Amino acid sequence: MRYAISGDSDFIQKIKASEFSGYVHSIFNRTVNIQSLENGELYTVACQEIDNGPNTLVIQVERFNTINLSVNDQVYTENNFLHIANKLTIAVDKAALWESILPEYPQKVEILNRNSTKMRDYIDHYGIGGGMKKSNHPTTPFEIELSRLLEERTGLLLTELFNNRHSEAIEKASKLIGLGPGLTPSGDDFLVGLFTILNLPKSPTHPLKDFCLEVVKLAKPLTNEISYMAMQKASIGKVRESIISLIHSILYGTEEDLILSLNKVLKIGSSSGTDIALGILAGLEANKIAGGKV
Amino acid sequence: MTVQVVIKPNTYFDSVSLMSLSTKANQVEGVEQAIIAMGTEMNKGVIRNVGLMTPEVEEAKNSDLMIVVKAATDELCENAFVSINELLTKKNTNTGKSEVKYSTISSAAQSIPEANLAVISVNGAYAAREAKKALENDLHVMLFSDNVSIEEEIELKKFAHEKGLLMMGPDCGTAILGNIGLAFANAVRKGEIGIVGASGTGSQEISVRIHDFGGGITQLIGTGGRDLSEEVGGIMMLDGIKALDEDEATKVIVLVSKPPAPSVEEKILAQISQCKKPVVVWFIGGDEEKITKAGGHFAKMSKEAALKAVLLAGADESKINKRALNIPLIEEVRAKLKPEQKYIRGLFCGGTLCDEAMYAAMEKFDNVYSNIQKNADYLLEDNNVSKEHTFIDFGDDEFTKGKPHPMIDPSTRIERFKQEAKDPSVGVIVMDFVLGFGSHEDPVGVMLPAIIEAKQLAEQEGRHLEILGYVLGTDLDYQNFDEQVEKLIAAGVTHASSSQNAGLLAREFVVKGE
Repeated sequence: MRYAISGDSDFIQKIKASEFSGYVHSIFNRTVNIQSLENGELYTVACQEIDNGPNTLVIQVERFNTINLSVNDQVYTENNFLHIANKLTIAVDKAALWESILPEYPQKVEILNRNSTKMRDYIDHYGIGGGMKKSNHPTTPFEIELSRLLEERTGLLLTELFNNRHSEAIEKASKLIGLGPGLTPSGDDFLVGLFTILNLPKSPTHPLKDFCLEVVKLAKPLTNEISYMAMQKASIGKVRESIISLIHSILYGTEEDLILSLNKVLKIGSSSGTDIALGILAGLEANKIAGGKV
Repeated sequence: MTVQVVIKPNTYFDSVSLMSLSTKANQVEGVEQAIIAMGTEMNKGVIRNVGLMTPEVEEAKNSDLMIVVKAATDELCENAFVSINELLTKKNTNTGKSEVKYSTISSAAQSIPEANLAVISVNGAYAAREAKKALENDLHVMLFSDNVSIEEEIELKKFAHEKGLLMMGPDCGTAILGNIGLAFANAVRKGEIGIVGASGTGSQEISVRIHDFGGGITQLIGTGGRDLSEEVGGIMMLDGIKALDEDEATKVIVLVSKPPAPSVEEKILAQISQCKKPVVVWFIGGDEEKITKAGGHFAKMSKEAALKAVLLAGADESKINKRALNIPLIEEVRAKLKPEQKYIRGLFCGGTLCDEAMYAAMEKFDNVYSNIQKNADYLLEDNNVSKEHTFIDFGDDEFTKGKPHPMIDPSTRIERFKQEAKDPSVGVIVMDFVLGFGSHEDPVGVMLPAIIEAKQLAEQEGRHLEILGYVLGTDLDYQNFDEQVEKLIAAGVTHASSSQNAGLLAREFVVKGE
């Protein structure tokens, strides 16, 4: 038996109330995704080095490849335990409860101004190319074309968004969904970052959060289930702990806080962290235009 | 050209694995282009735009993994799929090794009281802080990170000096301590020669040549590239010389660097004159008279430095294969080149190897351009476009931003090679292939398809394309040195037996009218 260290409070409540069942959807070294039979959403059991996130339970395990789990293994709950077939039992009674709560947009924006500039410079230097950030040396025609489309479509989306043409912006956003070679395509990751900022309480762009919901309505047939789940949660302001920490640092932190938290985000996936971070910067730019503040 | 597709239904790989697979798949022999991506509509659109759409791709679903390969023949495509499948299987079955992780240097030091060294590779913004903690815990430090300020470097080195500890780096990429290679290093024999080096591949080259001449290494101490600047004052090199002079196992000391700042050079020469042991000095472009006057043994080039060290350590000269320059080969190659084929293009993973070849060329030509030229008049305006004789260090910052070092991921150099090979004014392309810990598992293999294609193209155009390759490595390196060299030769590449010979041969091949 393994113990859960922490987890999404809703997920833990479902386990405690024995109201969760499903089957294993996909298995990676550091995470296992479970498809819920109750609501169809994906839930994640993650190893101890992964940060908290929506629908995620972090447990005391180093890697999952030493546990003989298989896709379609049955998952069920019983009192305080989550069982995956008869291969893994997780106790949640001692797990710390976590909830995804975004910080409020600040009234004074000096720190935000400084940190946005610093963040852009840092990504220019240390961000991973090949997705939203152009690779210095794309090597195949596929990479070159992908880079061109990402740049072109992001530009079109932001133009529509900045000019308050929402229905056009929704259409342009949909052209980014599923674009990119990774498990979570670069276009999806960019939108996760953008949605996060549009959901910041008290931000000039907060009224645009409905835009996020409209985009997500179009997303399901355009990308895979894992990436869709991240976008769907981001559209209602639910994102991973490392992203929340980064947002907090941008809005209120010192330069050291910013670099520490930005580095954690940049390490997500291959280029995913960079793509998310660039989505965040695009969202902050939208705030600048909407509120004249940033 | 043939395009073949394999769709793997409901197959998920994490992004890092997918990117790594995609890079490796594009390096499989015979593959012109390989795409590994999820089967979303948008990705299918990109595939359509680049002309690789097939009915199978059209049918792929969002949760399917698409593998698209374009190669010259069906057979090459099938071979590529076999290789890609092997990579996929490897990813699936790789269970990894469980290691103990410590969240702080202090907790690691407490848990492993016998440890005396910390190797630090973190973001530059935090590197100095972590190095300071390690020194406070009485650990020697090898600091791989760069982007540490010079003020922090000075503070760390002074602090280490006061405590009697080694502060190797920042930006220290090579060390061999107690016969263990750290970061980029080669597997070499244990012996009686100690090296202090301010340049990574320069130190690797010296250690490899010493091994080739039958000698061995006690310690290879890296200093970091800025140590011999006026500001830092050579603190680490001076401490390194002192440590090796006091080390009973070391009989001969070799110093490797670009020329130090004048005031630092004075300090080093003064220390050399105080040494109990012979000191061989290879400062690229250094002053022979000053070094000799201080009692040092001057070496103009790398092979010469290694040979002097081995002889000073007592080796029998008659038993050493000195890897003499192949003089008849020079005439042979000159005869094959057309009059307009007059330029060298040096494409290097190792900075010092690039420097050594460039200095050799500068002895005979004025028009030698590079991204690492000291003379601003000969710095390339655009590093992506060569001019006359051009030497590129692909390990330099511009090429490594957001990308692994070319010794790990050579894809940028491969593309540049293809570009240079088409230039009819090019007489010779010279390249290094660095083996050892930290380096690519098959540096020659990934380059071969491009080499073969370039040779064929040149032949069709009625010109001889001379490609000169140097494999920096030993028979103990895990990549199999002999196999790497054989692959080069089989592809029609001229193999140079040392960095020094590579530089000299490249230069001589394109000399006209001698």
